[in-house]
Amino acid sequence: MKIENLYGRQLVCPKIDNNLGESRSAFQDGICQRCNQKIVAPLPNDAFYCRACLTLGRVSSLDNLVSLPEPNHFSGKVTLSWTGTLTHQQQKVSEDLLITLALHREHLVWAVTGAGKTEMLFPLIYRALQQKLRVGIVAPRVDVIVELSPRLHAAFAQTDMVTLYGEQTDCYRYTQLVLATTHQLLKFREAFDVLIIDEVDSFPFAGNDMLTHAVNNAVKVCHTMVYLTATPTRQLRKRINKGLPVSYLPLRFHQHLLPEIQLARLNKWRKKLPKKFQKQLSHLVESNKRFLIFVPKVADLKPVHDTINRWFPKMRGDFVHANDKRRQEKVKSMRNEEVQYLVTTTILERGVTFPGINVIILGADDEMFTENALVQIAGRVGRKSDCPTGLVLAYVEHVTLKVKAAQRQIIRLNRLGEKLRESM
Amino acid sequence: MRHRALYQYNDVMKHYMQQYKFNGDYLLKGVFNHDLIQLIDNIDKDIVVPIPVSHYTMQTRGFNQVVGMLDGQTLSDILSIAASKKDHQSQFGRRERMNRQQPFALNVSSQLIVGQRILLVDDVYTTGNTMYHAANLLYQAGAKTVKSISLAR
Ligand SMILES: [Zn+2]
Repeated sequence: MKIENLYGRQLVCPKIDNNLGESRSAFQDGICQRCNQKIVAPLPNDAFYCRACLTLGRVSSLDNLVSLPEPNHFSGKVTLSWTGTLTHQQQKVSEDLLITLALHREHLVWAVTGAGKTEMLFPLIYRALQQKLRVGIVAPRVDVIVELSPRLHAAFAQTDMVTLYGEQTDCYRYTQLVLATTHQLLKFREAFDVLIIDEVDSFPFAGNDMLTHAVNNAVKVCHTMVYLTATPTRQLRKRINKGLPVSYLPLRFHQHLLPEIQLARLNKWRKKLPKKFQKQLSHLVESNKRFLIFVPKVADLKPVHDTINRWFPKMRGDFVHANDKRRQEKVKSMRNEEVQYLVTTTILERGVTFPGINVIILGADDEMFTENALVQIAGRVGRKSDCPTGLVLAYVEHVTLKVKAAQRQIIRLNRLGEKLRESM
Repeated sequence: MRHRALYQYNDVMKHYMQQYKFNGDYLLKGVFNHDLIQLIDNIDKDIVVPIPVSHYTMQTRGFNQVVGMLDGQTLSDILSIAASKKDHQSQFGRRERMNRQQPFALNVSSQLIVGQRILLVDDVYTTGNTMYHAANLLYQAGAKTVKSISLAR
């Protein structure tokens, strides 16, 4: 192994092997030193292993964690190959972020879905790379990382970067820019001068002690941390009140308001999808519109897809869920317009952009859809400037407080956006 | 030599082995315990012998995957992995070396093996090379019969 592959990493090495780098015991008082959890299972001969972070490769009491300090061996040569321009509001946020970098602070960007968060980051990333700082961009969900990756490659064409998630980890190289799922941070130790956490409110990061540890462990003592979200959790909102610096961006980059959630009743849809629903779909089908149908449970996917297929046999569609082996492939065929619709669980609630998309939510009153999830789902619609509106239709059996709250959240954001527009 | 396997080495089994043996999730040892012991009960034998793992594997994986799966079954730990003779090996090609080299050694005196009906157990049966060498060694030591089973083939 190349010695540089240990810079800022913490890798598992059997104690019996000669370890390169600085090694420490993988457990202390039964607490896993990689993930900070105490969930162990026994091995023969009084050995044991950690079950909490097992998916990243096993850590056992027979192992050491080896690491080397991050030396910032980077050239500082960087070109920003992105040629777009920031809107006035995006510009303001990106300036806030440059100040954050200079002061090594924490900062939250609260920007509505479709505000163009990624572009706002470019000046920050550009300056950090120039300063030979190591930059990590992470998100809890794979889809978000997969979508970010090509955009960063395009924007920083000359900068070497790796994208780490799930099974992809064997392609690790020592690079100045790292894109990864938050889980992958468990393999880093005091690596990043700048860490950007996208979709910071989204499952499974929110309130997860293991991932909180991973984040804190992966940054250097002196660091800059940027959180991005369209729908901050209550916990984050509390931190804002206690003084966490924040930039608001209530308006989408194309200056149009967010599509609001329309409510409609649909009773006993699981038993038999009503004619009312078929009628709604046929409007979309006749005008050749593309759409996503969100359902609460994996078990709902196939029946809904089958029924639509029976109603509209000529239209091509598919269904997808979190553990779907062909998940990336299906999302791609939707993006390439090979299929007209996808039936999906909440996994596509965020991070994905399909131009000209409409969304329908079945069972929006189901507990699977939180207030923030509904706002995120609505946020899939109207993201492109040439197609800034679209349908967001939530079907419920009962109108719940949660559904109402999601509706209100969007109306409130739009009020702020309108004010901002008028002031320009 | 007669060999019996409980299951085909298909994708599901591959996935199981990946999790249990290679990712080392020892808690999964019990999944096929009942099936394996039932098969063993139905075979005439005097002693049941697991295919051993090396000292290095015990220090890294931390367990013998066969022993793990046979929890509750009396096992005779009479085989071990022979220390490799590196200088001697280098004069043969890799393939030849695989065929010639006896990877196992006896843990006990051959007097204890004479006349015994032995059942060898492994996790996955692939080329048959492993079982061939183990059986060979046991026959040389005077075993009456040597049969073999594995979880998958
Ligand atoms: Zn752990």
